[in-house]
Amino acid sequence: MKKALITGSRGQDGAYLSRFLLKKGYQVYGADRGGDTGIWRLRELGIEGQVKEIALDLLEPTNIMDALEKVKPDEIYNFAAQSIVKLSFEQPVLTAEVNAVGVTRMLEAIRKVCPKARFYQASTAELFGSTGGAQRNETTAFYPRSPYAVAKLYSHWITVNYRQVYGLHASCGILFNHESPLRGEEFVTRKITAAAARISKGLQSKVIVGNMDSRRDWGYAKEYVEGMWLILQQPKADDYILATGETHTVREFIEASFTAAGFKLLWKGKGLGEKGLDARTGKTLVEVSKEFYRQAEVDELVGDASKAREKLGWAPKTKFKDLVALMVDAEFKRLEKKKVNL
Amino acid sequence: MKKALITGITGQDGAYLSEFLLNKGYEVHGIRRRSASFNMARIKHLCAHPRLKLHYGDLTDSTNLTRLIAEIKPDEIYNLGAQSHVAVSFEEPEYTADCDGLGTMRLLEAIRLLGLEKKTRIYQASTSELFGKVQEIPQSEKTPFYPRSPYGVAKMYAYWITVNYRESYGIFACNGILFNHESPLRGEEFVTRKITRAMARILLGEQKNLSMGNMNSLRDWGHAKDYVRAMWMILQQKKAEDFVIATGKQYTVRKFIELAAKELGITIAWKGKGVDEVGFVKAIKPLPGLDAEIKIKKGEVIVRVDPKFYRPAEVETLLGNPAKSRKVLGWKSEISFEGLVSEMAASDLKLALSEHCLNKAGYGAVKNC
Repeated sequence: MKKALITGSRGQDGAYLSRFLLKKGYQVYGADRGGDTGIWRLRELGIEGQVKEIALDLLEPTNIMDALEKVKPDEIYNFAAQSIVKLSFEQPVLTAEVNAVGVTRMLEAIRKVCPKARFYQASTAELFGSTGGAQRNETTAFYPRSPYAVAKLYSHWITVNYRQVYGLHASCGILFNHESPLRGEEFVTRKITAAAARISKGLQSKVIVGNMDSRRDWGYAKEYVEGMWLILQQPKADDYILATGETHTVREFIEASFTAAGFKLLWKGKGLGEKGLDARTGKTLVEVSKEFYRQAEVDELVGDASKAREKLGWAPKTKFKDLVALMVDAEFKRLEKKKVNL
Repeated sequence: MKKALITGITGQDGAYLSEFLLNKGYEVHGIRRRSASFNMARIKHLCAHPRLKLHYGDLTDSTNLTRLIAEIKPDEIYNLGAQSHVAVSFEEPEYTADCDGLGTMRLLEAIRLLGLEKKTRIYQASTSELFGKVQEIPQSEKTPFYPRSPYGVAKMYAYWITVNYRESYGIFACNGILFNHESPLRGEEFVTRKITRAMARILLGEQKNLSMGNMNSLRDWGHAKDYVRAMWMILQQKKAEDFVIATGKQYTVRKFIELAAKELGITIAWKGKGVDEVGFVKAIKPLPGLDAEIKIKKGEVIVRVDPKFYRPAEVETLLGNPAKSRKVLGWKSEISFEGLVSEMAASDLKLALSEHCLNKAGYGAVKNC
């Protein structure tokens, strides 16, 4: 039986990948910080208790080596990260320690303990930053725009370097935004879908967002984890972009969410004064605040996943509107469940 | 009076830069790490200067950096401190990342935290190693990076975090992407200095031969003295920007060896290929006054290849395009390649002669390990 080790197994991607690998017959080990805070994701996917917990912290080299000795994994998926761009401006040191140096510690441990293991590094579209609408492929130059992205740039290149220097089967998946009902609420998509459902049920009055003109390439996380697995099944380690190739603004995401929740939105005003009103009642449902703007904005991110399509046979299936609808639907189901539990 | 803070003041660039800034009337503060081995040789001639002040500190210690910057409130910071050796970075990747990568961010964070964004300008010592497996020739400010060592990757982190703090907080933060810059003050673990030092010692019989890695590597070599002037110029501009600092000419390591030998009167010729390549003495023309001390003979093999000096991932060629720095800064590399090698060879000959004299007199305690 194959063994996989996932750092950050209780995050969105970790949870989906755990379920995917369990279905494939893998023995799955998960390393997570922060206690039980993410366990709800495994519960929602019906795999609670099936992922074996292992103590592994990317800040501690000896602990990583020890954990690898114990598990002897065939595949390692490194999702653990301080993954919130905005927070990285507040905690740049921790972000670098975990997202950047943590990967060096992991690669060093792999090199010493299990050099045959295959390694997946979660790179991100944030590496590209923004310089307009052109699609990014595996040869596009990077332009990180946050301490988060700079740290992820480090981990991307150190992974490439260890592959080239030590022959490790180490690959990077450069994933464009991928969302799902399991996204954390601190991310804009989930914040919006959760708000739309709650507002519809009278549990919340409005939602406050940042730059609504940001364009993103949004896919469905459940499909993206299959791409990650495919990357590690290739005979040769390499880096791939996973993306839909299509972009939508945050404003479109808001509209689609409120539509799915049964509202019709009317937009009024400009910039920081822009508001989304309920067409029926005239009540303000969406507001903009500087608080949610980034220090250095990334206006548009769109990926070209041709290489993944050609070499991995991977392609995203769920369209933007369907993704938003399934996220809002999940919010309603959660609210129903809460009501029943009460 | 302007105040400058230099990290890495005990290194080659730190020494040249402090002298340069002292001459410009700056009060110069330097951060040095406490070490069991004495590392002040390069700046000992400046230590008595009333405007030079040294502090103990470390780029891995945020509190220390923040306190020093709060006390000094420098107008300019030059971040030259780093684990600067490529080969060592494969042995110490974590420390290299901590010091070279995060260390830079700690300085930037200190500036931000102390509210010095509008006062303190910062120069980040970026490097041509960022280009690694070069994506175009020559390399300019627009060439994409392709680092090939943990050192290169850590320095890339530092490069981009500098850009990011400039864009996010308006800090006057600049990268100088410096191509190789050498001098008699280069550390002996770097290839140029290793060569000039070895040639002089071989000439006097203090060393048998020189073991080399890849002699086909092409580098763009300038003189550190010229390059520290560029660092200062970068911080005097109206707008914070990044600059490539280079000569625009490249030579092989082999050529460097030939030239270093020639400065000592040795003509080297080459035989064999790859690992079996050797350099031997084709002719000797003793320098004035040295006839009696010369220990090598015609035909003797003095250069060999040892694969242990190959890099795990080679950087074959580096060639900088200094067009922007010439145009915007008005900077130009003044000392030629020949002039650089000649100065290094002469300085190391002097050093080797004193070692030789001590040995002859029976005080041969000065040995390299």
